[in-house]
Amino acid sequence: MSEMIIEPINKYGLTISAENRHKPLFSKIGVVGAGKEGRNIINMTSTAGMEVVFLDESLERIEFVMGELEKVMNQKITGWGLTQSEKKVIMNRITPTLEYEDFAGCDLVIECTRYTESGRRSTPLRKNIFKKLEEILDEDAIIATNGSTIIISELASELEHKERCVSLYFPVSHPDARILEIVSGMYTSEEVYQKMEIFARLINYKPHRINESNGNVSLRMVATMLNEACQILLERVTSLEDIEETFTIIYGQRYGIFRLADIIGIERLVTLMEAMFNDFGEKHYKPNPLLWKLYRSNQLGVRTGKGFYVYDENGEPLSPNKSLYN
Amino acid sequence: MKILVLNCGSSSIKYKLFEMESKEVVAQGGIEKIGMKGSFLKLTLPDGQKVMLEGEILEHRAGIEYILGVLLSEKYGCIKSLDEIEAVGHRVVHGGERFNKSVLINEEVIQMLNECIELAPLHNPPNLKGIYAIQELMPKTPQVGVFDTAFHQTMPDYAYMYGIPYVLYEKYGIRRYGFHGTSHRYVSKRACDFLGLPFEEQRIITAHIGNGGSVTAIKNGHSIDTSMGMTPVEGLIMGTRCGDLDPGVISYIMEKEHMGTKGISTLLNKFSGVLGISGISSDMREIEAGIREDNKRAILAMKTYNYRIKKYVGSYAAALGGVDILVFTGGVGENQAVTRKEVCQDMAFMGIELDEELNASVRATEVVISKPSSKVKVVIIPTDEELTIARDTVQILKEF
Repeated sequence: MSEMIIEPINKYGLTISAENRHKPLFSKIGVVGAGKEGRNIINMTSTAGMEVVFLDESLERIEFVMGELEKVMNQKITGWGLTQSEKKVIMNRITPTLEYEDFAGCDLVIECTRYTESGRRSTPLRKNIFKKLEEILDEDAIIATNGSTIIISELASELEHKERCVSLYFPVSHPDARILEIVSGMYTSEEVYQKMEIFARLINYKPHRINESNGNVSLRMVATMLNEACQILLERVTSLEDIEETFTIIYGQRYGIFRLADIIGIERLVTLMEAMFNDFGEKHYKPNPLLWKLYRSNQLGVRTGKGFYVYDENGEPLSPNKSLYN
Repeated sequence: MKILVLNCGSSSIKYKLFEMESKEVVAQGGIEKIGMKGSFLKLTLPDGQKVMLEGEILEHRAGIEYILGVLLSEKYGCIKSLDEIEAVGHRVVHGGERFNKSVLINEEVIQMLNECIELAPLHNPPNLKGIYAIQELMPKTPQVGVFDTAFHQTMPDYAYMYGIPYVLYEKYGIRRYGFHGTSHRYVSKRACDFLGLPFEEQRIITAHIGNGGSVTAIKNGHSIDTSMGMTPVEGLIMGTRCGDLDPGVISYIMEKEHMGTKGISTLLNKFSGVLGISGISSDMREIEAGIREDNKRAILAMKTYNYRIKKYVGSYAAALGGVDILVFTGGVGENQAVTRKEVCQDMAFMGIELDEELNASVRATEVVISKPSSKVKVVIIPTDEELTIARDTVQILKEF
């Protein structure tokens, strides 16, 4: 028996072949910055079968990132039954790089940079990345940023093809939170938005269309709830534990609001709430003093090991963070 | 007369084109990974040559279009016009309580199928997509729906009812429906023809075991009980499905692992069963390889898998008041001698005596594997769901 014959399928369509003779969408994508969220995106897209190139700043970082990616997959193997061979196939799809040139040929690059593993973000730096990407990518490649603040129109503004820019937000609250908030900026074209909907479905997310607005929908709702919870705590109306249970038991949420804030990241919420306060001028968006206290002391939640709770190395809460009340 | 049989899954489409006069399969293949990266159409040419056509297939409609395109193509095709296809038969997973036999698909049926979506949210929508695609691409060609659940609609109420408040049955149709009906129907009937026994007078247990699996008790030609329930998770331990499970365990896992309904459903459907127990694979061939290497969990997975089947055979013998024929079918049932052996072990008390030597030497062929002295005839009957669907389709065409 001769070996299997392999050829492209597109000439066998009855009506779809003619207009569809382009390369398949999202066969190769890029990620700039492999912090926690960047790694999450690398993980999901490579698992969904995409070739992923990611860029980070040093060989040490790359080694660390590859180790972390492997760790997540090993956890899946022990807990959920990903097989060793599947892991091998997925890891093979991931290519680390230090050079922007390696993004050539990607039809989507997602920017997720942070100063440090725990850290905050810089708009000039991100603008610079967008420009570098434009130089390397094809005209119709999409440049996205991962974020929840109003930024995409600003990041796009200095590019030649502004319509290709879009902002994405992957909710991080728990693994089943598979809704992708796709944010169209002032320049984003409908075609680009539609392609991102396809991207969302390819990675098994439900797309939600968002018009550029600070906090999108998911975080805007959490922000005010969190502020109110902090105020209740400050006024000593009840304990942290009881506020958490109100959220989990009465409102049926998976986590309490403070735990959720730690998972999302205090720095992200404070920055966002400041931006929302500036935008909307409503006092209830202004970050509560408790949030500032955590933010200034770099107790940013799960990723720094301390926030409203103190965490062990696996990110499991050990106890409420008593230093908050001192 | 050519009949096209389509089996549309959530991300796959299998197809077979039959020439009904000769019962010959003139074309067959399947599409996988619809809507995912790396989708492809794989087909086997009449000379056995395998062909893989790679490219983006984002949805079922495109997939079916490619299948028809390939059938029409000069290179790999076998028809000159779509008009040569007399009718299309679809495998439809869930027919609820509305369908107890195959039907000609019309607007009313489509409406009813839409109403069944809630019962099989994963399976029925792709079946419907296949029906819509054919409506669009071959508008004049009649379509027939053949239901996985239809054969089991003869189950008595005390067999299909769960021990939960009756109001939930009334409100949501929560009851046992059973699946693989087309296969159980085909192999039980075929076994009787093969053995020269009247189908209407036999007590038959059919074990359709493969990556998914179910056992059915058939009395006088009617299914009276089957191991799958409202969804295909109940019953046997399967490749990746857990099968029967204490419902208390479900809420316990959800609480301990902070899982939502989707997470627990994935855990029980995709990461459990043989894969979950062994930690190796859902494929029994890999489990057998693990056993040869003395892997303890592979051994455990195999034992648990076999034991569950044996328990069902025993309980259905009780439900039937005795057994005349035990049928093995499906990928594992047809090929895995060790499973058949363990299921039949120490069952002489109820008349099952397996010819172990013969059992070990046969696979995927119609054969009696019990000893001549065995009161129960144990047989292997390779299943052919597609042929059954094609035959039903022809039958329905004749009626209209």
